[in-house]
Amino acid sequence: MTEAVPLAPPRRLPVWWMILPAVVLLGGFLILPYASIVVMSFREASTSAVYGDGFTIGHYTEVITDPFVWGIVWRTVRTAAIVTLVTLLLGYPVAYHLARTRSRWASLLYICVISPLLVGLVVRTFAWLIILSNSGMANSALKAAGLIDRPILFLNTPLGVTIALIHVFLPFVILPLLGNLQAINPEVAMAGRSLGASRMRTFFKVTLPLSMPGIQAGAILVFVLSMSAYVTPAMLGGTKGRTMAVLVVQYLVDNFRWPAGAALAIFMAVLTVSIIVLYLRLTARAMRRLP
Amino acid sequence: MTGARKTLWDHVFTLLVALIYIFLIAPILLVVLLSFSGGEFLALPMEGVSLRWFEALFSNSRFYEAAVHSFRLALVSALVNGVIGTLAAIYVIRFAPAHLTNPLRVLMSAPLMVPEILTAIALLFFFFEVGVGNRWSMAIQIGHILVTFPYVFLNVASALFNFDRSQEEAARSLGANGWLTFRRVTLPAIKPGVITGCLFAFVISFDIFNISLLLKSVGKNTLPLELFDYLRYNFDPTAAAVATVSIALTFVAVLIVDATVGLRSLRF
Repeated sequence: MTEAVPLAPPRRLPVWWMILPAVVLLGGFLILPYASIVVMSFREASTSAVYGDGFTIGHYTEVITDPFVWGIVWRTVRTAAIVTLVTLLLGYPVAYHLARTRSRWASLLYICVISPLLVGLVVRTFAWLIILSNSGMANSALKAAGLIDRPILFLNTPLGVTIALIHVFLPFVILPLLGNLQAINPEVAMAGRSLGASRMRTFFKVTLPLSMPGIQAGAILVFVLSMSAYVTPAMLGGTKGRTMAVLVVQYLVDNFRWPAGAALAIFMAVLTVSIIVLYLRLTARAMRRLP
Repeated sequence: MTGARKTLWDHVFTLLVALIYIFLIAPILLVVLLSFSGGEFLALPMEGVSLRWFEALFSNSRFYEAAVHSFRLALVSALVNGVIGTLAAIYVIRFAPAHLTNPLRVLMSAPLMVPEILTAIALLFFFFEVGVGNRWSMAIQIGHILVTFPYVFLNVASALFNFDRSQEEAARSLGANGWLTFRRVTLPAIKPGVITGCLFAFVISFDIFNISLLLKSVGKNTLPLELFDYLRYNFDPTAAAVATVSIALTFVAVLIVDATVGLRSLRF
């Protein structure tokens, strides 16, 4: 060791090769395929092949003018809106509690929140199939409590789908909120208290406005997931609880109408994005009015 | 809390939160409980306790084959993403030109931001158009790799982000070359992120449904698909036993993560 170790910055090898496989994966198998949905939606239908030779905008006009489709669209949007609202109402107290708790059970509680995320959708929906059936626990409990005489029909209705989706997507609202609430300095709220504000007032004037980013992130995530949910409505919804994603899969798999199914899928995506943009505009305006 | 005494409102709040925790976990516990049922029905109270439904499950070759198929898809997804997701994270956090960092991050987490059902449809059309279709399970495997990629990327990226670079500089100033520094300093530091990401990729791949539904080869079901099909015509505790096995697998993964790196380091 006679020579001094050079401290100059190391030679820059062409390091972009490191990102190459990922770019190939995402470019080749995500971006290109999404483009192929758009292309497919303009292809002509054919009875002898998957699609015909020409191109048409006919599938879009067909989808948009079909009252049957609109019935399902309305049900999907309504279900997604209810699920988003209820998951926010249920998720906020949990995130708030988990962000502040010093209980030694905190780890266990955290597992309660993330485990539904890690257990497959089919399994979770299956649980609700058991709970919500006519002779299931929900109906037995309500009957035992004397609240109902005859069972409530949960299955094959939008009601059952809504309840199960709330359970399925609740963690997606808790986790962003948890991150957000943990990042809020507790001294800010204490300052409000020490200035004489009640706890209620401190919460509504300080903590809640500061947690708005978490609320927005969770709400958008759950709304997108609910709008596009397939497994839960397919297993619990029957024909009366059918949502857009179920209809799209029906077009593709059962009826083998790929171009029309593609148009419906694009319609679903555009509708979802439009509603979110509208929502962001409205809430931005409302938030500007806040003190 | 400033040590204030508990008010009625505190107790109401605690009760409310406790109920929501129960709401979150109870359905899963219920399925596990019912898989040990001695009776014929998925109902409470159970008629005794037995392992007969697990016996029924393990003698069912369709479930067995589906489980093997799912396991292989999940393993390949975890391994492939363990390599390309880690490399991508290192590039984006360390080497990417500043103006590319954010676009690349968005691109790398894109599979999480678009609905899985749309990705499944996109891949269905794409593989048909390029003439591969659903042969050799290639479409379904690529679908699984694609959807689980962000879990590895995000976990490794966050480990790298929290890692103190001066340790690398120290190694280099002591004469270690780039590769040695990477292997002896950087890699051990980001290992928890890589392990978490891979386990996560495995678990998610084992569970995903929409991708498998649209991209599966004929006659080759994954475990969630097989369970879904089974429930169309059957409604007995065998299904609960299937669910319990897959829940157990998930919890093993969760316990490994918790023991090695701690659950709170997970990135979704």
